Amino acid sequence: MIEVDNFSKTYAGFRAVQGISFHVNKGEIVGFLGPNGAGKSTTMKVLAGYLPPTDGRIQVGGYDVVTDSLEVRKRIGYMPENVPLYTDMRVHEFLRFRAELKKVPRRKIKERVAYVLERASITDVQNKIIGTLSKGYRQRVGLADAMVNDPQLLILDEPTIGLDPNQIRAVRDLIKDLGRDHTILLSTHILSEVELTCNRVLVINRGKIEASDTPANLTRLVRGGGSVLIEVKAPAADVISKIEALPQIDDVEVVPGEGDWTIAKVFGKPGADIREDIFGVVRQNNWPLRELSRVKATLEEAFVELTQE
Amino acid sequence: MAWWTLFKRELSSYFHSGVAYVVLFGSALAQGIQFLFIASMVMQNHYTQSSVMQVFFVWPLFWLLLLVQIPLITMRVFSEELKLGTIEMLLTAPVTDWDVVIAKFLGALVFFLVLWLPITLDLVALQLFSSPPPPVYWSQIGLTALTILLLGSFYVSIGVFTSALTRNQIIAAVLCFAFLFFTFGVSLLHFMQNLNDSVQAMISYVSSPEHLSNAGLGIFDSRPLVYYVTATLLMLYLAKSVVQSRRLKG
Repeated sequence: MIEVDNFSKTYAGFRAVQGISFHVNKGEIVGFLGPNGAGKSTTMKVLAGYLPPTDGRIQVGGYDVVTDSLEVRKRIGYMPENVPLYTDMRVHEFLRFRAELKKVPRRKIKERVAYVLERASITDVQNKIIGTLSKGYRQRVGLADAMVNDPQLLILDEPTIGLDPNQIRAVRDLIKDLGRDHTILLSTHILSEVELTCNRVLVINRGKIEASDTPANLTRLVRGGGSVLIEVKAPAADVISKIEALPQIDDVEVVPGEGDWTIAKVFGKPGADIREDIFGVVRQNNWPLRELSRVKATLEEAFVELTQE
Repeated sequence: MAWWTLFKRELSSYFHSGVAYVVLFGSALAQGIQFLFIASMVMQNHYTQSSVMQVFFVWPLFWLLLLVQIPLITMRVFSEELKLGTIEMLLTAPVTDWDVVIAKFLGALVFFLVLWLPITLDLVALQLFSSPPPPVYWSQIGLTALTILLLGSFYVSIGVFTSALTRNQIIAAVLCFAFLFFTFGVSLLHFMQNLNDSVQAMISYVSSPEHLSNAGLGIFDSRPLVYYVTATLLMLYLAKSVVQSRRLKG
């Protein structure tokens, strides 16, 4: 659905995006992650046909975004960051206008508008003037607008920014639901959202793709997918030296516990399951043990690790 | 037909905003007062050689009104979209830059013409309440209307262009006013005494008051037609280029 090949974008001498390549398959929900200023919005603007790329080739649904811009724009639904809308129009009026503009056949306009009003749960405010709506409603009007021409691809730039937790949940459910019939590329800062909705994550930092994988695999990459926490009755120095001697260990962090107890956080090499080895060490040394548990890495840790210099 | 959809939205947005009614009211009032004034002067035989039409359009107040009206009508067409960010939403729909520029131009032009509707009421009143009613010369009225349409197109296209230059509506309006004032000001050079003939000819070629005055006398001249149509197309092309280059710059 999206093919990006060696794409760069330069703004007045500043290279916002530097030669990135990635692809999004049909039917995928892909999360676009990265710190502020990493180049997410820029990339989305180029995909939506708003900005031309400085270099590289980008295709959406088989059409080039530069030479076949109109064809690309017919096939996408784009929701820009901060959802700019005509504040002087009524909701249904605005959606009808957008449907007409996006070349929805005249006899289908009424049906499509009613459908997206319902999908975005804004049927009750359809007669209100957009300028009087709250942020949450405007966000949903933006989503309804993006869906109105039944596009193959939805590009959503921070669809949940500025919403309260209930609204975030509602929008997340909607996106998940939409993912059944549309390909979706969405950017966000809320990592739990990505974990819950996306099949795949693209991490972009300083204009470069740092990782592209499923949320589960990404967290696995982070220092072996998490750590093992143990609490044993043994001197800290002993614990460190004995466990670090194991082959699959990356790092051991020790926190003094109460009395003679030592709490250690053990990080294994990527992909390794070190629980059994650790238990082996504990048994050999006859250390009394009162906890051995696995702490799964979060996507947040993956994000921090990938995007911090 | 994207331009038609956009045009409908453009035109209705004028009537959604309060500014439109202020401009409409102000124009109707100014035109009415002016008309009354001129009609009474004509009745006192100050202008027996001229038609009401002709006097009306060489009257300074008409030009003042025109030079203020146009920036007020056109200042928001692009500036507002740039400021609100809606231009991004607009240009990611399957529309061409030309669709957008043409729709905005036509929307503003039609609204401008709406502002001139009250004057037709003045003309009707003149027929109803004067005895004997003054003769009506349709060719003069028709040519004057055509000239207003042509020079309105040119002036509105200037406003569309200056609005595309900035996200600040006030700056857009001031730029437009300056541009219009310059265009109009050239015709004032006509009154300078020691100009040679070729310069005079050039001035009268671009002098809008002279074009209107000729139309008021019922003289058809194809030169102003060519001048206004070309100038309008040029300004619209520039507006489209500005919209495009904004995106190229990012």
